[in-house]
Amino acid sequence: MTRLPGIPGLAPLVAFAGLLAGWEVAARGIGIDGLPPASRALAEVPGILADPESLINIGASLYRMALGFALGVAVAVPVGLMMGRSRHVAAFFNPLLMVIYPVPKAALMPIIMLWLGVGDASKTLVIFLGVSLPVVYHSYQGGRAVEEKMLWSAAAMGMGAPARLLRIVLPAALPEILVGCRTGLVLALITMVTSEMIARQSGVGNILFNSLDMAQYDTVYAMIVIIGVLGLALDAAFERLRAALVGWAEPSQALMVGTT
Amino acid sequence: MIAIDAVSKEFETKGGRRHLAIDDIGLAVADGEFVSILGPSGCGKSTLLYIVGGFVPPSRGSVTVGGKPVTGPGPDRGPVFQEFALFPWKTVLGNVMYGLQQQGVGRTQARERARALLAMVHLEGYESFYPKELSGGMKQRVAIARTLAYRPSILLMDEPFGALDAHTRTRLQNDLTEIWERDRKTVLFVTHSVEEAVFLSDRVVVMTRSPGRIKEIVTIDLPRPRDRVTLLLERRYQDHVVAIERMMDAQE
Ligand SMILES: Nc1ncnc2c1ncn2[C@@H]1O[C@H](COP(=O)(O)OP(=O)(O)OP(=O)(O)O)[C@@H](O)[C@H]1O
Ligand SMILES: [Mg+2]
Repeated sequence: MTRLPGIPGLAPLVAFAGLLAGWEVAARGIGIDGLPPASRALAEVPGILADPESLINIGASLYRMALGFALGVAVAVPVGLMMGRSRHVAAFFNPLLMVIYPVPKAALMPIIMLWLGVGDASKTLVIFLGVSLPVVYHSYQGGRAVEEKMLWSAAAMGMGAPARLLRIVLPAALPEILVGCRTGLVLALITMVTSEMIARQSGVGNILFNSLDMAQYDTVYAMIVIIGVLGLALDAAFERLRAALVGWAEPSQALMVGTT
Repeated sequence: MIAIDAVSKEFETKGGRRHLAIDDIGLAVADGEFVSILGPSGCGKSTLLYIVGGFVPPSRGSVTVGGKPVTGPGPDRGPVFQEFALFPWKTVLGNVMYGLQQQGVGRTQARERARALLAMVHLEGYESFYPKELSGGMKQRVAIARTLAYRPSILLMDEPFGALDAHTRTRLQNDLTEIWERDRKTVLFVTHSVEEAVFLSDRVVVMTRSPGRIKEIVTIDLPRPRDRVTLLLERRYQDHVVAIERMMDAQE
């Protein structure tokens, strides 16, 4: 990433200002209800953030997202690493993942709701599914790429196979795992919103789509802005964590978000 | 003692064909002996070392160390790999301490020994560096210190000085002979350099082109302790180097 000279973070600010300006001009030019100008949408944001009810909704969304993300990572990392280290485990999970991969996770929502209802469990499960795949995939790649001689070196020091998985494979694959987690985090946000669109009960998605039904377009766009900023903040926070955890590694590649 | 008995290794290639990497290797290395292995690239020197290390099973034949058959890796045989294989998430100091802590040596004691070893390979001041911040030669020296740290009685060194500049290489050769003359470890040492092999070894094993067989074993009857500059002028040293160079040329 190239930075404008002098002030760090200036380039993204300029980009956002440009986006907002474009939005403002376009909205005023077209002049339809479905696209209010940026200034009006942004004016809604403080009101939403001051309203305890919307804060509870945002909190509920974040809670489900955090839970789904944590569960997804906790399951996907061991599965991915073991797939990477054992051909048999990979042969078992690969077809399974191939079937799940192209299915939009949110499309499973109605079925899952039949089992688990419209509450937190269904939404958390969908987020879990959304997070799991990229994390499994990257953990698998990371586990597979661990240099064999590194494992041999540890074995020569007297380290057994289970300890090697935890103490050699896991740290060696960590940079790649975290690339998966970063994608997973963004997918968690996306699935969070879509799950709330389908099972309307609480959450940011619920506010967004209810406002849409009631033609409160200012609120709709304000919510989109809030979700976008949330995503940016989460990604930035995660990037700092990643940098702290794997500063020892060569610089990683840029984030690529796949489909849900 | 390392006894390599009629060891062959066949690899299954992707196309389903079999590739004979080494063929019927028999070699006995006495305790405290320094044996070098020379041979053309791809003749199976690394493979032989991996089999002795227990990292790769032989297709035929067997290896025993101290009378016990080798079934896997163990801390009695310390490898130094061609690829260094340092732990990138550990600092230089952490890498060298790793094996010691794995063996249950306390932190303070492990740190002390690691520092001493790093001084020996001329890396003081680099303790807190990460491997990615080191040059190839420095990585190689960390790898050597890491293996020496847990005091294996046998060293399996695969071109450990291959990535070093001539100056560091000479210095480390001197250090290695010094360590060896003091500790008398058993060493299996793979190299491409005939001079290095003659300077360091009690015996030099010359292998044939792939599939690798033992072509000849040359005993280096030069007195120890050896001093490089004195040796260079010594007739017997020159004769060995020339004779082995001729053997190697005859392979091509
Ligand atoms: N895992 C493997 N699968 C298939 N073939 C292999 C494998 N490892 C080594 N070989 C083959 O075995 C032969 C010997 O390889 P090895 O690495 O032992 O050679 P080397 O003498 O150490 O070469 P160099 O001097 O270049 O390091 C080569 O022909 C190589 O292609
Ligand atoms: Mg080799």
